[in-house]
Amino acid sequence: MLLLLFGSFSLVYSSVAYYSLSRPPSQEFIAWGIFSPSGSLSNYFSGAGANVSVGQTLDWHFAITNQMGSIQYVKVIYRLANSTSPNPNATVPASIVPQLGNSSVFIPNGRMAFVNFTWSVTSKSSQGGMIFINMRINGQQVSPPVGAVGGQRFRFFFELWTFDIASSSFQYGYRGQSSRVGVPLQVWFNSA
Amino acid sequence: MRFRQRAPLGILLVLVFCLSVGNENALGQSNQIDDTQSRLVQAFVMVQQADLEGASPAQISLLANNLNLALGYEDNATLLFSKDINASNFYASKSASLSNATSAQALSLTSAARTQIFLNQVAAYSIAVAAGFGSALFVLELDRLDNLVRRMRLRRTRLD
Repeated sequence: MLLLLFGSFSLVYSSVAYYSLSRPPSQEFIAWGIFSPSGSLSNYFSGAGANVSVGQTLDWHFAITNQMGSIQYVKVIYRLANSTSPNPNATVPASIVPQLGNSSVFIPNGRMAFVNFTWSVTSKSSQGGMIFINMRINGQQVSPPVGAVGGQRFRFFFELWTFDIASSSFQYGYRGQSSRVGVPLQVWFNSA
Repeated sequence: MRFRQRAPLGILLVLVFCLSVGNENALGQSNQIDDTQSRLVQAFVMVQQADLEGASPAQISLLANNLNLALGYEDNATLLFSKDINASNFYASKSASLSNATSAQALSLTSAARTQIFLNQVAAYSIAVAAGFGSALFVLELDRLDNLVRRMRLRRTRLD
């Protein structure tokens, strides 16, 4: 009788111990946004519409929050596109669109990291009605091969990639419950 | 005549030698940055392992700072690679040594976290088993306790 009661009580209390020692289930995700100097998700061009003139410097930054349950190695890839370029989506990056550069950061779980994105148009040239721009991004000079008609409707694509230990490489998006989740951002602008 | 014929050949040989030495040097630098990158990734893997094993967020945050510093050094090494090889080397070796130190710290954190988790589990299940035994004994001896309480009450009333 003692043994039976002992077994039953031990089972109940052990279940309580197991429950208290287990990690609570949580939805894993990475959230991010691109912020203007005022710290908002708008007013990227300081009231100048979406027009960017040659020599104008824009100080933006990304805020990336890691809720993946462990530290993550995150890479932000930036590309310059025009209105006809194929968009990145939740599953596929815009690999056809040329990459301008990237920034990487390690983010502990439950923390937010800030990544600077300071850029300017250093010069522009015209070719058959298309405007091509040279840019400086985070101190690096870049000459994207993408042009836009009349310099209108350029756009930045920002893609978030995370380091995948299994493949030992950066993979697009972050690891979701059943598949990877891409969360691209884009900002339109005109070269005035 | 012979000298005139051999002079271009000699210049060509010297050029080829110079180029090959330059390439070897460049290849060596490139390998050094590759090595730095792989050490950084290795350090990240170790830190993530420590994190998943249950190391404290404060400790992981410190290691993340080290990783970001090593990443900054690696970026400098890559940027300076074509401009100043010595400076590039300097930053690459700083990044590699910081990554190595971070890996070692992460390894020791993983070990400490595993031990702590094991001790926590032993303590929790020991308490559960002890509480199980205590509860079983309590249920079985409830009658005796009840009798004991009754006797004490009776004694008190007699004394009054």
